[in-house]
Amino acid sequence: MTRDEIISKLRDIMKESTEKPVDWSTVSGESTIESLGFDSLSILDLIYDIQQEFDAEFDAEQLVSIQTVGELAEFLSSQLA
Amino acid sequence: MKKLRHLLEFALAWSGLKLIRVLPDLMITTITVLLADAYYGLARTRRQIAYRNVLESGIADNPAEASRIARHSFRHFGLVVIESLTSSRYLTEETWQDHVHLDLDAESERWIREDGRGVILASGHLGNWEIAAQVVSYLKPVSGITRVMNNPYVEQLVQRHKPRNRFTLTPKRDANSARFLEAIRDGKILAFMIDQFAHDRGMMIDFFGRPASTHTAIALLHLVSGTPLIFGYSRRIAPRQFEFKAFPPIRIERSGDKQRDLRSILDALTRYLEEAIRESPEQYLWAHRRWRVPAQSSRH
Repeated sequence: MTRDEIISKLRDIMKESTEKPVDWSTVSGESTIESLGFDSLSILDLIYDIQQEFDAEFDAEQLVSIQTVGELAEFLSSQLA
Repeated sequence: MKKLRHLLEFALAWSGLKLIRVLPDLMITTITVLLADAYYGLARTRRQIAYRNVLESGIADNPAEASRIARHSFRHFGLVVIESLTSSRYLTEETWQDHVHLDLDAESERWIREDGRGVILASGHLGNWEIAAQVVSYLKPVSGITRVMNNPYVEQLVQRHKPRNRFTLTPKRDANSARFLEAIRDGKILAFMIDQFAHDRGMMIDFFGRPASTHTAIALLHLVSGTPLIFGYSRRIAPRQFEFKAFPPIRIERSGDKQRDLRSILDALTRYLEEAIRESPEQYLWAHRRWRVPAQSSRH
């Protein structure tokens, strides 16, 4: 799966998970996860959804420093490789 | 006006702490019980909340027993505060085992003692939760979350007097998933209280047969990180003597349905809490409004 494909899939997952109205067509790798309506606690919901959707088992602790959609995509890309 | 009230409260707290330092334990305990009884008599609303909670939980089967448990619960809370401020007199790295009896499930004990292994510890407002955190911090560093007092002067004073050992507290406003995950990554025990009202962000979980809004973060953390999740608590068995008990780790059959899995985990934790409360009902904080109805529940 390419980085762009991962970002596209992430966009779909985030759309389902967030309650904030977001113009998803403008969301790119540089968008911060916080700006998409994920606060300090709802981010756990997002991590769960990502693990389920990507069928990926990874240590959630590794996500501590991730801030943007692009960083998340790169992390997932490394996990899925 | 608010500042004046805060300063007056600070003066009272400061004098109280000075007294605690010079008075013998027995006298401190007696004064605490008298003050708790006086508060029980005066604080009508709190008293009624506690009484009703005991009765409606089925813990007491008659009004007289419910009153007795509610009154003792007030005394107990007073003692929790005093013990938390004075425990450094007798709970040290060298002496804590003379004052604490450990009753740990074998598997939970292995997780708690394993170096570098993060553990999520769930507990409730039962027994002395401050002592519980201190005790486990002798086994592994503990990271907890605290509600900061409204009075900043008293807050500072109390924090200065609380023994910490390897027990660090994060104010509730600064608590976030990154900090939780960091604590797990660093091999700490991440401690949560599971019986706090979660407003409209919680999941309604039956607690003594009545739905109570319950925070889901602890269950989500367990699901996403696979970190062992253990329920434990400490109760007073005699003056300066405590028991710390840890139940077997929570295990659920994962369904892949997030809401269902969260509910299974929170149900299991709540059953452990109920079991622990039934063992020492006088040591539970019954005056807490645990069954408030959230404005709008998001996770039924």
